[in-house]
Formats: sequence, C-alpha cells, structure tokens
Amino acid sequence: MPFGSSSRSRTPGARLKRHLLEGAVDDNLRAMRNQPSGRIYRRSPIPWPLLVAVAALGLASAALWLVLGRTPLDAPAAARGLPLGPPPGDLGPYADQPASVPVRVSNDVFPLSVRRVVIDPGHGGGDHGTRTPSGLTEKELTLDIARRTGERLAAAGFQVELTRDTDRRVSLRDRALAANERRADLFVSIHVNWFEDGRANRGIETYYLGPSDDPFVTELASLENRESGYSIADVRRLLDSIYADLRQEQSRALAGAVQRRLVEAVRELTPEVADRGVKSAPFLVLVTTEMPAILAEVASLSNDEEARLLGDESYRDRIAVALCDGIRAYSDSVAKSATTSEAR
Amino acid sequence: MSAKEKVLSVGIDLGTSQSAIATSNDSRFVIDSYVGWPLDMVARKVVKKPVLIGAEAIENRSLLDLHRPLEQGLIKEGSEKDIAAVKEILGHLIGLATDGNREQKVRAVVGVPAETMRVNKQQLRQIMRGMVDSLIIVSEPFAVAYGIDELLHTLIIDVGAGTTDFCVMRGRYPTEEDQRTLTKAGDSVDDLLAKLIAERHPEVQFSVHMVRGWKEEHGFVGEAPGKIVVSAPVHGKMQKIDITEQMKAACDSLVAPFSETMVDLLAGVDPEYQERVRQGVFLSGRGSRIRGLAGQLEKTLAELGGGKVQLVEDPVFAGARGGLSIALDADDDDWEKVAA
Repeated sequence: MPFGSSSRSRTPGARLKRHLLEGAVDDNLRAMRNQPSGRIYRRSPIPWPLLVAVAALGLASAALWLVLGRTPLDAPAAARGLPLGPPPGDLGPYADQPASVPVRVSNDVFPLSVRRVVIDPGHGGGDHGTRTPSGLTEKELTLDIARRTGERLAAAGFQVELTRDTDRRVSLRDRALAANERRADLFVSIHVNWFEDGRANRGIETYYLGPSDDPFVTELASLENRESGYSIADVRRLLDSIYADLRQEQSRALAGAVQRRLVEAVRELTPEVADRGVKSAPFLVLVTTEMPAILAEVASLSNDEEARLLGDESYRDRIAVALCDGIRAYSDSVAKSATTSEAR
Repeated sequence: MSAKEKVLSVGIDLGTSQSAIATSNDSRFVIDSYVGWPLDMVARKVVKKPVLIGAEAIENRSLLDLHRPLEQGLIKEGSEKDIAAVKEILGHLIGLATDGNREQKVRAVVGVPAETMRVNKQQLRQIMRGMVDSLIIVSEPFAVAYGIDELLHTLIIDVGAGTTDFCVMRGRYPTEEDQRTLTKAGDSVDDLLAKLIAERHPEVQFSVHMVRGWKEEHGFVGEAPGKIVVSAPVHGKMQKIDITEQMKAACDSLVAPFSETMVDLLAGVDPEYQERVRQGVFLSGRGSRIRGLAGQLEKTLAELGGGKVQLVEDPVFAGARGGLSIALDADDDDWEKVAA
C-alpha cells in the first residue's frame, strides 16, 4: 500500500472510520459556528453531574406529578408544582439579565472526597516577592512553609504536589496548569504579606476568588497577577464563568477553615496578630485553577517582630501545621457531607 | 481532470518543535518550527532572504529575530509576530507539498493538541485561509490512531515537544473524557535537564539546542545504559562532562505523570474492554524515542494486570500520516462543509 493511502475499502473498519470522520467534521463545524463542541473542550463551568442531577430532579418531579397529579390545571401555578413566572415572551423583572446566568448550586450536590492537594509556594527564582532589609525573602518562606505543609498532608494520607520544589520562577499560568493537569481536588497558594505604613501592619488573611471593591486588595491582586500571560479578554471570560459557580462556594469554605486555624495557631504565640478575615479577590492563580482554590497570606514581613519570628523554624512549622489542619478540617466537612448524603 | 485541477490531500502535524507534512503524491517533509526575520539590512544582505524557516533559521539565528511561535502545541497568544511565524511555517509546508504551485487545490487535515480550545482552532482556521481550500482540524492522537489503523480499544500517547496527548479510542470521535493533554513533554525535559546540568556543572556553557540534542541522542528512563558523557565549552575550551545522573532525573520526570494519566484514562474505560486497551497502548511523537519509556509504562500496566506498550513506526510522521489518511477518506461532501 503506497505511503499515506487510505484503507477505506476494508470493512468493517470502513464503517467505523466513516463514523469517526463524521464526528471530526461535526466537531469542526461546531468550532466554525462558535458553538460549544460537545466533544472536545475544556472543563465546563457547569459539570455534567450537575446536568444529570437537574435532569434526574426534573424526571422525579414529573413522576411525582403523574402519581399525585390531581391538581386541576386551572389551579395556581405554584399549586401545580410549576415555576411561577411571566407569560412566554415576557421576561418580566429578569429582562435585563443575560440569557445564561450562572446558577449557584449547593455543596451537597457534589459530596466528593478530597484526595489530591496542590500546594503553591508563591513567587520564586528572580521573583523574590516581598523582602526585609535583612534579606529574608517571601519566596524562601513560602517554599519552606509549603514543604512543611506538604509533608504533614502526605503523612495524613493526602496526595500532595508542589507547583515548585526549588527556587525557580513559575508563571501563574503554569502554576494553575500544573494543578489542573494533576486533577487536584484543592489548590492552596501560600504568600506572605507586606503592609505599608498607615495600615495595621500585622495580620493574616485568606482569599478566595471573587470581585473586590477594596483598593488595597485590588492593588495586591494586581501585583500578584503580574506576568500572568493572559489577555484582558481571557480574564474577563474566565471571571464571567467562575464568579457564580460552585467552586467559589467551596473555595470560601476552604478559606474559612484555613483562616480560622491560622489565626488560632499564631495568636497562641502572638495575640496581637490581626485576623484580617476571609476575603474575595481576583487573583489570577485562583481564576485559572479548576478546583476549590485559595490564596493564604500567612504572615506579614513588614512587621519587624513577625519577620524575626518567620526566621525561626518552629514558627514556620506552626504555620504549616495550621494550614494542614485547615485543609483537613475542610476535607472532613466534605466527607461528612458525603456520608450524610449517602444516608439520605 | 487535468493535473492542475487535481486535488492534493495533505496531513500536517503542527508541532512546537517540529512540523511535518505528508501528501497524497507520496512526498513528506519535516521542518523545525522556527521562523526568523533578518535583524537589519546587513543581516538581510548576509542571509539573502526576507524570512528564514526551519533549520536554516536556527543556523542563522544570530542574524535573525528568531521565533518559535508555538507554545505547548498552541499558537502563542497576543503576538502578531508569532501568528505571522505560524503562517510562514504552514505556508512553507504547503509550498513544499505543492512544489510552489499556487494554483494547486489543497485539502488539509491538521493535528493539534487534544484539549485545544475552540478559539485556538478558529485562529488556526483563520491563519490557513487562502493557503488551503478546505481544512479539518483534529486532535493529534486521534490522527495517529487513524494513521496506524488502531481505532478501537487502544490508547495513543503522543509525546511532542510542548505537550503529551493521551487518547483512548473507543469507537467514537474522542470526547473530553477520552483525552488528556499534559505539558510534561520534550520541552519540560529539556528545561529540567538544563537546570540540573547548570546546578551540577555551573562552569559549563551550553544552549537549549545543545541540551535538546543531548536528550535526543542519549535520553533514557529507568536504568542507565552506560555513562553519558558530552562535550561542552568551559571558558571557551571544550571539555567532557558526565550528565548521566541529570539525564536520568530529567527523563524520569515523565514517568509518574504519564503513568498516572494512563491509569486515569484506563479507569474510565468500560471494564469489559480495559484488558484490550492495556494490550494496545501506542507511543508516538519525537519524545517517544526516549529509551526505556515503553518499558517503564509497561511496568505500570503490570500492576493493573499487564499490558503492552508499542512504539509507533516512524513516530515523527505518525501524526501527519494519520492526517493524510483522514484527508483521503473524507468525502467531497465532508470537504465542502469545512471549506476554508
């Protein structure tokens, strides 16, 4: 057979090839028409299990209506189990909303367990992050704390990956890609803060993805998002699909669990540390990850006392233990939710 | 039908490191995916061309604004120069295939990474408008499977420079759940190898091209076949350096993610067919030449009940040949639908 020639005359392989070719052409047509492929595409913002769940709910409702369908058709819509809404063609109060408004769903719909955690030590290589006059750098601290956290999580039975395990520069895009490729269940980015004069210069805060109207947070996100490699259009598209999805809800829960443990652990030693709370902010490393993701500012190098403490191994270990405990607490709550769902 | 009217079918593997084309008139070409424009008038006089492509561009890189326009198998975003470079590469390949006959009617199938997003496919279609008459874009491992006629209950692992693509063939056009794209591939091995050599031999001077050459000549996973000694300049003087340990660490970095992804995809296969898929794993792409890779993956399969990993014949052209087979099998109706 000459090089590259077709084997279409052979059957039954020919029928299979025809079927595959039709699939390929169909996929191309969808791409040309800018339609969702339905074949090869990256993760959907609404996972298929949700669609299955919604479909199942719809079928169950229909079945219930058939069994108990004694309600007269002229009864009010609510009494018939039908959604209350405007007549066809009249969008009523929702007229201003886009056609595909993302729907927030309950955590209980996906009671899945946490298995793989990706820890992301912020900065690295030529990107030092914040640094003290004495030369202590954010990139060293985040790597050390990430290693310690990873070891503890691994000992607790989690599969742990670090986005960098050496002092090297990793783009925000690659950090997120690494987590996505490894199909991580959680993504935890570790950073150390710096507060300028005039602000409380010592505190812990944990972020999850969301909009922010705090100028300080916006500036912080802008600094952390440098060199992301994404265009404005990319970011807008990503944000549109994520802000209202399930992942944001889960990320907030994870952020809460981590923030609580961090504050408790650090205040045992230094009660004056401020609990700056759980906040939302558009950090790109949180935008592009496909799993619940947080960014923890575990300490602040701008405070001399805290900078001194961060130089001490036992203090960094304390932070690592708190991070690990927070992740475990979140994981346990998810597992508990799964058990409850199974029991229902 | 006159020769002028005759349709030329081509399959193209647009790769991060190399791009290949196979044609229905039995010719095939592979070029390095580099494009360079002379830096100034002097450079232009020296190279005597407005643009250089492939090996020629690499050889004259000191005189050129050199671009490697594909990153992780995709066109780099936001750079008009890189888009122009992709256009040059594709135009050059088509020119080689048609022997410069601009009147030649061309139908092309181009392979891209498995999880390429729709916008990138649209961008590619836009770039190829005017170059070809019709265009079908498929995932690279699907093209490989089609070319080797292993379309049912097989697993294709296409190890490229920018990405490694996995695809389980189960009798349908691959869906999202059938495919994975990893950025652990030839380039990631090169980067790690360069870093490890720089750490171990900080005095040695080397370039990414040298590192890539060393990997392609000596790359291995598992047991070292022997000492790997290469020549590189130290303060301008050539010296022999032992890079066995660094080569092992860099190449071994592929094994864990590959094994994990393979197992993940196998777990999604109907249990009835898992055994068949395990016995039908195929490695293609330039990166598949790393010695011992198939054996290491078979060790992973052994833990699942055993399996066989085979190297695809002619791995550099496997994707292009597959694309050509698709092009030849597509009907006129199919081509009309996807006119460029």
